[in-house]
Amino acid sequence: MSRYRKIINKLFASLLFVVLLSANNNVFAQDGEALFKANCANCHKPDVDFTGPALKGWKEREPEEGWVYKWIASPAGMIGSGDAYAVKLAAKWKPTVMTGFSQLKKAEIDAILKYVDDYTPPAPAAGGAVAGSTEGGSDNSLLFGILTLVLAVVGIILLQVNSNLRKLSDEKEGIHRGEPVPFYRNKTYLMIGVLFFAVLTGYFLTNAAIGLGRMKNYQPVQPIYYSHKVHAGVNQISCLYCHGGAQDSKQASIPSVNVCMNCHMAIKEYKGDPIVREDGSSVNGTAEIQKLYSYAGWNPTTKSYNPDNNHDGIPDGARPIEWVKIHNLPDHVYFNHSQHIKVGQQQCQTCHGNIQDMGEVYQFAELSMGWCINCHRETKVNFFNEADSSGNKFYSIYEKFHKDIKNHKMDSVTVEHIGGTECQKCHY
Amino acid sequence: MKRFTYITAILVAAVAVSVASCDSKRKPGKIYMPDMTYSRAYESYAEHDTAKFTMDINDKGGDKIFYNSMPPSGTLKRGELYPYPLAHDTNSYKISGTVKNPIDSLTKDQLAEAGRLFNINCAICHGEKGGGNGPLSSKIGAIANLTLPNYVAMADGTMFYSITYGKNDMGSYASQLTRAQRWSIIKYVRTLQPKAEAATAATAAPAKTDSTAKTAK
Repeated sequence: MSRYRKIINKLFASLLFVVLLSANNNVFAQDGEALFKANCANCHKPDVDFTGPALKGWKEREPEEGWVYKWIASPAGMIGSGDAYAVKLAAKWKPTVMTGFSQLKKAEIDAILKYVDDYTPPAPAAGGAVAGSTEGGSDNSLLFGILTLVLAVVGIILLQVNSNLRKLSDEKEGIHRGEPVPFYRNKTYLMIGVLFFAVLTGYFLTNAAIGLGRMKNYQPVQPIYYSHKVHAGVNQISCLYCHGGAQDSKQASIPSVNVCMNCHMAIKEYKGDPIVREDGSSVNGTAEIQKLYSYAGWNPTTKSYNPDNNHDGIPDGARPIEWVKIHNLPDHVYFNHSQHIKVGQQQCQTCHGNIQDMGEVYQFAELSMGWCINCHRETKVNFFNEADSSGNKFYSIYEKFHKDIKNHKMDSVTVEHIGGTECQKCHY
Repeated sequence: MKRFTYITAILVAAVAVSVASCDSKRKPGKIYMPDMTYSRAYESYAEHDTAKFTMDINDKGGDKIFYNSMPPSGTLKRGELYPYPLAHDTNSYKISGTVKNPIDSLTKDQLAEAGRLFNINCAICHGEKGGGNGPLSSKIGAIANLTLPNYVAMADGTMFYSITYGKNDMGSYASQLTRAQRWSIIKYVRTLQPKAEAATAATAAPAKTDSTAKTAK
């Protein structure tokens, strides 16, 4: 529920923002916003320092009237010509030097500057929805359990009442029966009890014996608290950005440290929502990024890799991150990622669960043979359609299936039909 | 009495198996046949046994096997066929524009594939339309807006150099994209950019627009 509340809050906040903007702004300032976003927003924010300085209050900082236009047109030229304030700016924000925007007209610059001056930060989403600890739908099994128990008690009472009544009626008719056996010696009751117990034991025994040898829900502690929720969920990084091997090879591939550093050269701190482990302890995202720097041999203060003094081709102190393997298929099973991702067009989530919601990854699927086979029986292949030549052209060679589809003997082709449940497909 | 023994035996077994399988989720748990579950062969990313292998080619003493996971010198990976002459140094960036894009034109399918790769690897910062406004742009900062005139004017070779070796806060993508993929992504970026004439008309044109005017079409 709280997720919806979050969305509603965000909607409300953005609506408020839009209303605020449209209340006192004309078309001119709207253009300013669009221009700002297209040209400046990559390095500047109106109210806070970013890659470049905050732009609000530019008027007070400007050394002379009209300086800002010259600066925007050619910052490098201004610095080169020795303009005192330009040199000061360059020294403060080095090594980054602003790109020149000579293509912006004076009216456009005015529009941008007006937008910056009128900018008010959007109101933070009001209250509520802090940590998304959703309880989920209450578990129904407890309710059913209590119901069953109540019914069982009622049943036993009714049985007792029945036997008492029969005793009374027997006495009335003058039939004399012996003293009835108490229920704990009654063979029917005993038998039912034993049977119930045996079934229960058998159920747990079977389940436990199957579970032994499978690693479902395995969630090891990793050397770095890497949250897929933050990366793939909140920040929408494609799975294939880091696990590019999944589309090209058997292995999904664990990204090497340089792939992490593509973004973390610039992202030094974690500023998102607080991360909490399942046991309630909180995670310091910035400290985890520091761990990455130590693995990479990267010095965040000088923004460079450590020198390679021992000439082994990598920065001193850099070492691979020893991630703990979670998904393990036995040696006698062949599984190829690219076959499933590229050819079969499967989503990662089919086998790995909602990985974009996992703080720490656990094994979602049981990775048992029954689980594989079941999917192969149910999944339809992208079969080649002769009529409009859509689908995977490779499947044009299956003449019998094409004939059967034409004669309406079958309507779709599953993985099983094309040999996906043959033993030697995965075991060889 | 005999029946009772049976029942107790089953019960004990059930409890034992349950306890064994209910191991903490932090541990992989027990398995029936460890020698089948855990590979005897070297798996990807497995650590080499330093008692048997050495990564130092000069380590001639002893009977250790030299293995450093690197391809033999002189071999070419698929997709790396196009030679690239420039090394990573300050001078190379300046002359990188002279290297021509070996891919002249892409078919519709190849362009779609380049677009897919762009969306996976580049759009996260540069935005799906190349406007420098991808989901991560507000966190990294100084993301190039590829539709601006100076990027329209930038030569393919210079872009390739930046993708290959990185530029400012951008890292090298040589390990994620092959040379062929990088060149074709540059072709795709050209389709996102406004036509060179239109973009340069609005500005005091930088000198070297000619090289890209042809490719932008």
